[in-house]
Amino acid sequence: MACSLRESVHLVSDPRNLDASVEEVFQLMLGVDCRRDAGPAEMEPELVTAVVGFGGLLSGACVFRTGGSAAMKIAACMTGMEFAGIDDTVKDGIGEICNMLAGAWKGKVPDLSANCGLSVPAVITGRDYNIHVQAPEFKLEHTYRFGDSRFAVTIVCDAIQ
Amino acid sequence: MSEIRTLIVDDSSVMRKIVERSLRQAGLDPLIVHEAGNGADGLELLKVKTVDLILSDINMPAMDGLEFLRQLRAQNLAPGVPVVMITTESSEEHVKQAILAGAQGYIRKPFTAEQVKERVLPLLDAA
Repeated sequence: MACSLRESVHLVSDPRNLDASVEEVFQLMLGVDCRRDAGPAEMEPELVTAVVGFGGLLSGACVFRTGGSAAMKIAACMTGMEFAGIDDTVKDGIGEICNMLAGAWKGKVPDLSANCGLSVPAVITGRDYNIHVQAPEFKLEHTYRFGDSRFAVTIVCDAIQ
Repeated sequence: MSEIRTLIVDDSSVMRKIVERSLRQAGLDPLIVHEAGNGADGLELLKVKTVDLILSDINMPAMDGLEFLRQLRAQNLAPGVPVVMITTESSEEHVKQAILAGAQGYIRKPFTAEQVKERVLPLLDAA
């Protein structure tokens, strides 16, 4: 029988799934608690952005965006190492965080988990870019805080079958 | 406990470090760790190294974890060595594919050291 997510768009786009995924990943992999932050998403002059694409019954992307010093703190929590700059290990860590967030988020809805694949992460540094989606089915964009650091997670769905 | 020789296959160097740390926290010490960034490199490494345990990601460039498993069995590399998949893909279908390809265990990312211990130690005891 052909599977469709059309009937369960309300489950897929439930913003609580994103919050639960972020809390789970940060608690288990970094050992830190984080909470939703009502403030604007802009943080530091230097940004590190990771993107993991969704393909299958849902196409779109999970985008993780944070400032340079927050990225180094996240990588330090993951590895136990100290970082003086945004090196390959920091970028790799941020890509992996985005990968786990995308996996945890799609895992909240069984039909989505089984019928949607993930791309390997792409990591972008700098801030002079736009992610443009013509007419998204839905978009979730939440900002979070852990300690004095902030990050934003966006789920953008450009098509759902 | 005698030395445990382990191969960790993951395209993320950070994740390889986290898996290694989790194995040590699970009591696998002394531990000798070999690392590979994808399935193809993992197969090459197994042609020259003997290991007691393999942990592999699924989503990787060049050769993914499921193809790595299939090739491992087809080439009869590391016979009898337990393979545990550690991945963000957690659906029943993915678990079924991994088991059919020859995996003995499955750990979903994100994970705790306790989960690694629960799934890995019984496989080493049985091997």
